[in-house]
Amino acid sequence: MTRMSCEEAVRQFFAYLDRALSGEPLEALEAHLRDCLDCCDRLQFNRRLDGVLKARLAEGGVPDGVEDRLRERLAKLGLETAES
Amino acid sequence: MDGREHRSTTVEPQFFEPGTGGRSVTESSGNSRQECRPAETATFEELTLPHLSAVYRLAVRLVGDVAAAEDLTQETYLKAMQAFPALRDQRRVRAWLFQILSRLVVDRHRSGGREVQIDESIDLDRFSLYDRVAEEDPFPYSESLHEDFLDRFHDEDIRGALLSIPQVYRVPLVLLYTEELSYRELADLLGCPVGTVMSRLHRGRKAVEHALWQCAKRRGWVKEWTR
Repeated sequence: MTRMSCEEAVRQFFAYLDRALSGEPLEALEAHLRDCLDCCDRLQFNRRLDGVLKARLAEGGVPDGVEDRLRERLAKLGLETAES
Repeated sequence: MDGREHRSTTVEPQFFEPGTGGRSVTESSGNSRQECRPAETATFEELTLPHLSAVYRLAVRLVGDVAAAEDLTQETYLKAMQAFPALRDQRRVRAWLFQILSRLVVDRHRSGGREVQIDESIDLDRFSLYDRVAEEDPFPYSESLHEDFLDRFHDEDIRGALLSIPQVYRVPLVLLYTEELSYRELADLLGCPVGTVMSRLHRGRKAVEHALWQCAKRRGWVKEWTR
């Protein structure tokens, strides 16, 4: 297996974080990470940033009343659709 | 490439289910879903209304405004109602609703000229927030510079960064983060090749990094004149 350069490794980070790497590219990246502390730090930063974004997006439910209001609007739409 | 693509909001029903890695449910063996009552007997309301909250939440995340999200949810359901007779596999209804919503958002921003434009002078593909923070060293006494940098951002900074990027990048990124879809599932949902999904996710993440850097400059953590 050819040794992966740092530039090649960085290009694979997002796919790695998204669990979309497999086979030889995955093995090559993991081999590179075992030897390259700088790339490990960079990957850790990207992982943390992903975590921050995910946490922000996970917040917030549906405010009271919204679902009822939407159901009413949809019921009205359904009636109009059926009548047209 | 993305700017020239055209997709209609008329949605062809897809044949995957989120969380299966793009695998068809019928391909799996011993799956309890196969024992479910045939979905084809269910009505539009029975199938779609359980996903109302999820569709609304996705709409809020994509447009960042609760009133606009309500309108968008209504529009999604109206389109779904019209397209319902053509839905071939009703077990995929959640992904199908997300698909309609996503295309509505992207098409609406394009046709209304509201799509956020990325400054072409910025080489987003080569932008690295990690490098910028290391070069600028905004907190010289920090022992964990990059961690401290990210921790400084308020919720509204993160939300603002996500909302500042074009919808064509925001949609796959939000779906990836909130629904944990595979690249194949995203490609099916967005009606584009896997390579395009990867490219949009890459540019979307880089655009968010750049937006956070701009935010750091506005907040005075780094010098205004830095790149």
